[in-house]
Amino acid sequence: VSGPCRGQWRSVRYPMPRECEEEAVGVIMCASVKYNIRGPALIPRMKTKHRIYYITLFSIVLLGLIATGMFQFWPHSIESSGDWSVEKRSVRDVPLVRLPADSPVPERGDLSCRMHTCFDVYRCGFNPKNKIKVYIYPLKKYVGEAGVPVSSTISREYNELLTAISDSDYYTDDVTRACLFVPSIDLLNQNSLRVKETAQALAQLSRWDRGTNHLLFNMLPGGPPDYNTALDVPRDRALLAGGGFSTWTYRQGYDVSIPVYSPLSAEVDLPEKGPRPRRYFLLSSQVALHPEYREDLAALQARHGEAVLVLDKCSNLSEGVPAARRRCHQQQAFDYPQVLQEATFCMVLRGARLGQAVLSDVLRAGCVPVIIADSYVLPFSEVLDWKRASVVVPEEKMSDVYSILQSIPRRQIEEMQRQARWFWEAYFQSIKAIALATLQIINDRIYPYAAISYEDWNDPPAVKWGSVSNPLFLPLIPPQSQGFTAIVLTYDRVESLFRVITEVSKVPSLSKLLVVWNNQNKNPPEDSLWPKIRVPLKVVRTAENKLSNRFFPYDEIETEAVLAIDDDIIMLTSDELQFGYEVWREFPDRLVGYPGRLHLWDHEMNKWKYESEWTNEVSMVLTGAAFYHKYFNYLYTYKMPGDIKNWVDAHMNCEDIAMNFLVANVTGKAVIKVTPRKKFKCPECTAIDGLSLDQTHMVERSECINKFASVFGTMPLKVVEHRADPVLYKDDFPEKLKSFPNIGSL
Amino acid sequence: MQSWRRKSLWLALSASWLLILLRVFPVLRLAEPARRQAGAPQGWPRWLDAELLQSFSQPGELLEDGPQPPQAPRGGSCYRGACFDASRCRGGGLKVFVYPAVGPISETPRKVLTSIEGSRYHTASAAEACLLILVLSPDTPAGECHPELPQWDGGKNHLVLSLHPAPCLRIFQLGQAMVAEASPTMDTFRPGFDVALPLLPEAHPLRGGALGQLQQHSPLPGVALIAMAEERGGWRTVGTNFSACPWDGRCEQDHGPKQTHPRATLPNATFCLIPGRNPDALHFLQALQAGCIPVLLSPRWELPFSEVIDWTKAAVVADERLPLQVLAALQEMPLTRVLALRQQAQFLWDAYFSSVEKVIHTTLEIIQDRVSGASAHPSLLWNSPPGALLALSTFSTSPSDFPFYHLQQGSRPLGRFSALIWVGALGQPPLKLIQAVAGAQHCAQILVLWSSKKPPPPRWPETAVPLTVLDGHRKRTRFCVMREGRGTTLLSQASDRFLPYSAISTDAILSLDAHSSLSTSEVDFAFMVWQSFPERMVGFLTWSHFWDETQGGWGYTGERANEFSMVLTSAAFYHRYYHTLFTHSLPKALRTLADESPPCVEVLMNFLVAAVTKLPPIKVPYGPWHQEAKPPLVPGSPRLRSEPRPAAQDCINQMAAGFGHMPLVSSRLRLDPVLFKDPVSVLRSRRLHEPARPPPPPRSSALSQPVCPVVPLFMLPCTGTVRPPGLTREPQEGRAVASSLWPGREASLPQVPGLPGTILEPQGWSKDAPRSQFQGFLLDRAEQSWEGRRWKRRWPLRPGRLRHCRRPALPASSIRGQHRAALPIPGPRVKVAQSCPTLCDLMGYTIHGILQADPGLRMEF
Repeated sequence: VSGPCRGQWRSVRYPMPRECEEEAVGVIMCASVKYNIRGPALIPRMKTKHRIYYITLFSIVLLGLIATGMFQFWPHSIESSGDWSVEKRSVRDVPLVRLPADSPVPERGDLSCRMHTCFDVYRCGFNPKNKIKVYIYPLKKYVGEAGVPVSSTISREYNELLTAISDSDYYTDDVTRACLFVPSIDLLNQNSLRVKETAQALAQLSRWDRGTNHLLFNMLPGGPPDYNTALDVPRDRALLAGGGFSTWTYRQGYDVSIPVYSPLSAEVDLPEKGPRPRRYFLLSSQVALHPEYREDLAALQARHGEAVLVLDKCSNLSEGVPAARRRCHQQQAFDYPQVLQEATFCMVLRGARLGQAVLSDVLRAGCVPVIIADSYVLPFSEVLDWKRASVVVPEEKMSDVYSILQSIPRRQIEEMQRQARWFWEAYFQSIKAIALATLQIINDRIYPYAAISYEDWNDPPAVKWGSVSNPLFLPLIPPQSQGFTAIVLTYDRVESLFRVITEVSKVPSLSKLLVVWNNQNKNPPEDSLWPKIRVPLKVVRTAENKLSNRFFPYDEIETEAVLAIDDDIIMLTSDELQFGYEVWREFPDRLVGYPGRLHLWDHEMNKWKYESEWTNEVSMVLTGAAFYHKYFNYLYTYKMPGDIKNWVDAHMNCEDIAMNFLVANVTGKAVIKVTPRKKFKCPECTAIDGLSLDQTHMVERSECINKFASVFGTMPLKVVEHRADPVLYKDDFPEKLKSFPNIGSL
Repeated sequence: MQSWRRKSLWLALSASWLLILLRVFPVLRLAEPARRQAGAPQGWPRWLDAELLQSFSQPGELLEDGPQPPQAPRGGSCYRGACFDASRCRGGGLKVFVYPAVGPISETPRKVLTSIEGSRYHTASAAEACLLILVLSPDTPAGECHPELPQWDGGKNHLVLSLHPAPCLRIFQLGQAMVAEASPTMDTFRPGFDVALPLLPEAHPLRGGALGQLQQHSPLPGVALIAMAEERGGWRTVGTNFSACPWDGRCEQDHGPKQTHPRATLPNATFCLIPGRNPDALHFLQALQAGCIPVLLSPRWELPFSEVIDWTKAAVVADERLPLQVLAALQEMPLTRVLALRQQAQFLWDAYFSSVEKVIHTTLEIIQDRVSGASAHPSLLWNSPPGALLALSTFSTSPSDFPFYHLQQGSRPLGRFSALIWVGALGQPPLKLIQAVAGAQHCAQILVLWSSKKPPPPRWPETAVPLTVLDGHRKRTRFCVMREGRGTTLLSQASDRFLPYSAISTDAILSLDAHSSLSTSEVDFAFMVWQSFPERMVGFLTWSHFWDETQGGWGYTGERANEFSMVLTSAAFYHRYYHTLFTHSLPKALRTLADESPPCVEVLMNFLVAAVTKLPPIKVPYGPWHQEAKPPLVPGSPRLRSEPRPAAQDCINQMAAGFGHMPLVSSRLRLDPVLFKDPVSVLRSRRLHEPARPPPPPRSSALSQPVCPVVPLFMLPCTGTVRPPGLTREPQEGRAVASSLWPGREASLPQVPGLPGTILEPQGWSKDAPRSQFQGFLLDRAEQSWEGRRWKRRWPLRPGRLRHCRRPALPASSIRGQHRAALPIPGPRVKVAQSCPTLCDLMGYTIHGILQADPGLRMEF
C-alpha cells in the first residue's frame, strides 16, 4: 500500500448534502436571468441577410479550430515516441578540442565536502516528481597541445552508462534546468588516461564551476606504485562514484561507492542455483594475490583439506580458452566463473586496489563473499545492508576465517546466498543497473523525504511480496477517554434507526454519533424528531446509495475507534458495546465484531466457501456492528485493491467481507470475535421461506470470498479458535460485581 | 431563432479568441516537450560504430592489478580493523571495564558510570576487559584532560564517552580511542568507529524514563501540523496553511500563540522542524518523546546511533535551502507514511533514548555488534519493536526465533510445546499432571525440574512423549558458585525455573508447578491461543495490581476481579526466549530480590514480559473443577490492608523502582473457545439429557479427564473416530476412509454395551499403526446435519494421540431417540460416533452419550 495523498485524507469531500446542491442550482438560474436581461444590450440584433455570413464565419472558425487541435496533438505523439529523436552518429565524427598546456587545472578533491557544503541544491529546485535532472555533456575528443589524446575517446561501458542515464527519467537535455552534470570524459579506468590533461579537460567544461554538481564515474582508481583508492585526477568539488574507496578517501554522504563491473558477466551464462549445501565450503579464486595471503591460504587449505579450495592461474592453458575463464589447483583445471557455484563462501581479498571485479562474479554465483580488505567501502554501502549478504573479516583474522564461517548457522548462510544473488541481479548485473542505483542514491540525498526505504533496497521481491506491513505496528493501548464514533448507515427505517440511536447512546464511551443517510429520495427527519442524546449527533447525506458510504473517512470522525452499526441492530446491549470497545482498545489494529463467520475450502468444488454455521473457528466478523480503527476507512475508500469497491457497490453485498479481507491483508492478523453472539436478529425471526433465501445468500457470499481472494492474489484471512469474553464471564461470581453482566445472549 | 444566432455568434467569438490565444501563447500547448531546433543533440547519441568501442579495462587488467601489501593507517583516520583489536574480545565476548571516577563528579557522569556497571558486559578487572571506557565529565578543567591511565596504550581499545560536548574532545588528541560523543559534527565523526550519542538533558532519568507521549496512532484532525524549534528551547506551532515563514521569522502575525512549554504543545503537532545550524539536539529528543516527526534541516551533526538506526523510518532529513520543497513534501506526505514515521519515532524513544541506561547500553550493544561480526543484530531487530536491547543477539539472529516478529510479519509459530514442571522443595511427583499434559495434542516433551529435597522417583509413568528429569539441585549449585560470596547453598531458588535450559527444544514453554491441576483440553486450547499471541504470556490464573492510596504504593492481589495484569507462571504458556531474557538482561539486584520469595519471581517475570511487549497477558478459561486446587501463591488481599504488609507484597514496589516505571498493563478480557458455554447449546443439551447424572468415578489409569459433555451433533468440536466397515482408501489425493487409518484394528476394539458401533481406544495406536497416515488434518464431514446444512470440522491429528471421552452414562438408545426427536434430520444418517471432544469440558457441558456411526460417514484428511 503506497502513495496515498495526505491532502486527500485531510480534505476529503464527501458527497454534497442536498441543501448545497439546491443552492448551486439556484445560482446558475440567476445567472441566466441576468444574461437575458443584459443580452440585447450587448449584441446588436441580427438581420436575416447576415445569417449566411455568420454561418460561414462560424464554420470557418470551427474548421480552423479542428485543424489547430490536430496540429496541436498529432505531431507531438509521433515525435515523442520511438527512436526518432535519438541521433545516430559515428564516434569518429566527434569534435576535437585542443587543450592549451597552461589551461587551468582544478584543485585536488576537497575531503571535507558534504552535500550541504559542496553541493548546490538550488539547481535542483522545486520539482513535483522529486527527481533530479541530469545533463550529459556532448562527446568531444580532447587532445593536448601536442595533439596527443588525453584519454581513449570513450569505452564501451561508459557509453552504456551514458546511454542508460540518457534513457532514464533523470535525463534532461536542457543544461539550464539540470541539477547534476555528467561529463562525457571517460574516467572509468585511470590507467587509460593522462591525469593532468584530463583534469584540464574537466575544468573547461561549460558549467564546471569548481566541479559543483558534477558526477564522475570511476571504477579502477589509482596506479602504480601506490594505487590510490580514489581517482587521482584533480576534481575539486565534483562527486565521485568510485569503485574501491577506502574509508580514508570516501566522503561519507557525498561520494558514492560503486562496484567494479566485471565484463566477464556478459560472456557467460550462469543460471541461478538454489541455496543448497555446496561441494566446497570456502573458495579463493583470485589470481594476483600478495604472497602473504597466498601463504595464509595455503595454510588454510592444509588445515581443512577438501573443504577449502584455493585456485590460481593455470600454467599450461589449452588452446582457445581465455586465461580469464580458467583457474587451476595443482594440475586440476576449473572453469571460471562456474566453479564459484560449487562453493558456499568465496574469498574477496584485497589486491593492489580495494575494489575487485571478482565480487560481482561471486555474488552472481550465489556464493557468499568473505571480504578481507580492511577499510574497503563496500559498493552502495550507503543503502545496501551488506551484513545480510557477506561476511567481512579483518585481514589479521584471516587465519581464523574458517572457524568464523563455521559458526554461522545453516539457515543464515542460505539467507545470505539468496541475498547475494539478489544484490547482483538488482545492482551489479549491468552497467545500467550500476548507473541507476548511483543516481537513485544521489536523488535520495537531495529529496530525502521521497527516499527509497531500506526494505525497498534490500528485500528481494519474494520477501517484499510475502511480507505484511502493519500500519499500526506500535503496541499502544489508546486511552479510554477518547471514546468511539458510531456510524449508523441507514436508508429509511427511521423507527428502528431511532431505537438504535437511543440504545447506542447509552454506551458510556460513545463520543459522537454519525448517521449516514443513504436515501437520496427522501429527506431525513427534522431535527426535532431525532431522539435527544447526550453526545453530538450528525447526519451526513450521501449522493448515491452505496454500501461503501459506510466506510468513508468522514471528517467528522475525530476518534480513532469507529463503531460501524446497522440501523436494525437493536439487540446489542450497552454492556456488549462497551465491552467491545474495551476489547478494541487492546487490539486497536484488528476488526472487533460480534457474530463470527468462517471461510472454508471446499474440496469438491475446489474453491472457497462461506460458512455461517456454529463452528469452533472464526475468520471474519460481520460489520453490522464492529469496532475498528478509522484508518481502515481510509484504506477501504482509497486503497482497496482491484475493483472490489465498485464490485461491492454494484452487488450491494459483501462490504463486510471486503473489509475483513482488507484488514487481514494489511495487518496479517486475525479478527477478534466478542461475546457468544451468533446473530444480530433473534433466532425466532427467521421465517420458513428464509431458508432458500438464506441459501442464495450463502452462495453469493461464497462468490464474494472467491472473487476477493483472486483479486488479493492470496487468502489473507486468518482462522482463530477463540473469542473474547469479560474476565468473569459465566464464572461463579456475584453478578452485580461483574463489570459487564449483561452479556451472553445470542 | 434569434437566440440561436446569438448563440452561434458567441460561440464563434469565443472560438476565435481561443484560437488566437492558442497561437499567441504556446505555453498552453498540451504536449509537454517543446519542439527542438533541428540538429541539436537529443539525448545521448547511438553510435553507428559502437562495436569499435573498447572495454574500459584490458582483458587481464581486472585479474592482475599488481599485488600490494596492506596499507597502514594514515593521518588520524581510524577504522575498526586497524585501531580496535577485536581479538581481545574473542574469548568471552565483549567485556567492558570503566575507569572509576576521580574525585567528585556531577550527576550525569555518575549515571553513566552506574549504567555501565549495571550492564551485562561489565567486568571489574581491566586486564580481562577488551573495551576500556573513559567517561569525561563536562566540568573537567581543560588542563586535566590528559588521560594518565595505565592501560591507555595510545587509546587502543578505548572508548571515550561524553554525554555533553566536552572541551577535552576538541583540544586533545585521542589517538586510537573511539569517541562516543553527544551530537558529533559530521566532519570529525568517523563512521563505523565512533558512536554518535544523543544530547541528553541534565535531568534525564537513569532508568525507565518517561514513557512516550503518543496517545494514539494517527494524528488528530485539525491540530497543528508543524512545530518549529526555537532558540531558547521552546516550540512554536504553525498551522497547516503557511508559507516559508518559519525560516525567516517574518511571519510573526501568522502563527498562533507562542508556546514555550514543550510538553504542552508538542504531542499535538505532526512534524517538528529542527534547524540544523547549531547542534542543539535537545529538541530532537523532545520531538521523539512526543511522537512528533523530527524534520531535521541540514543537520551538521551525526544523528544518534546512525550506525544501526535507520532514521529514514522515523525522521525526515530535509534541506533548509529548499523550504518550499520541504513544506510541500510535508503537506503532501501520504498518510501511511505519516503514521509509520510517528510510530517509529515513538518506538525509538522508548527503546533507546528514554533513559541514560538505555543510551549507554545501546552504545555497548553497537560495539558488541561490531565485535561479533556475523552474529550481530540484523537491521530488522534494531528497527522494529521491541528493539535490539531486548532481542539478544546471543540468543539468535534470526527473527523467527524471537517471539516478537511473528505477528509483525503475519506469521504464526508452528510446532509444539515443552511442559516444564517444577517440583518444589516439598513436592511430590506430579503423576496426574504429567498424564494430563502428555495427552495434549501439541506436547513435544515433558521436563521435570526436580528441586525437591526427596530424591526423584526411580520410575516415571509411561507417556507418549519423552520425559526428562532435570536435576534442580545440580543446576542450582553451579548457579550459586558463580556468584561470589554466596557459596553453595541447598536452599532452592525460585528463579531457577526460568533458567534457559538447553533441554528445552521448542519455542513454547508450558510452565507448571507440581500441584497445578489442568486438563488436557485446557492445555490444548491455551496452546492454540498462545500461537496467536506468541509474544505474550497465556495463563489460567491471574493476579491484578492496583495503586494503594493508603500505603502510597503498588499492591497486587489474587482475588478474582474484572481486570488482571499478571498471570501465574504455575500454569502459563510463554516463549522460551523469556527464559534467556530473564537470566541475562535483568539487573542482578532484581533477580536476587526475586529469589527471596517465590511470588516475587512471578511478579518479576510478568514485569519483564510487560516491559518488553507493553501489552497485557492473556487469560484463558480455567475449569471450575479445579477450584478445590487453590493456587498456591495467593498474595495478601486488600482486605487485610490493616495488617502489616508481608515482605512479598512489597516486592512489587521494589520491582517498579528497579524498572523505573510500572510496566504492567491491565486487561479486561479473557479468550474463550468460540462456542464456550453457548447458551443455546446449553439449552439444547439440557433438553437432551434429563435428568443429569453425576459423572462416573474416574478410571484407574489416573487420567484426570473431566466428564465429557453432551454436545449437539452439529457442534461437536473434536475428532470423530469412526470405523465404517469395508471401506478402503480412495484414489483421490488427500482423502482416505477410516478403514485405512486403522487397518485390522477392528477386532481389538472394545464394544460399548448398548451401542451398535465401536469406540476406539487410544492405547496401543502409537505403537503399530502406520504413523505416516496420521499426519495432517482429519476432516470430519457429515453430509447432513442439523437444519439440513453441511458442516465441516478440521482438527489437527497427531500420531497416536487420538483421545476420547468417558463412556456414556445413559443408555445409548434413549439418547439416540431423543436426538432424532430433537434434530430435524430425516432418515438414518444422523448417527455419528464421536469420541474425544477435545474442547468439550471447556465448553461447559457434559456428554452423556456417544452417538453411533453411520456406515456412510467418511473421514478425510
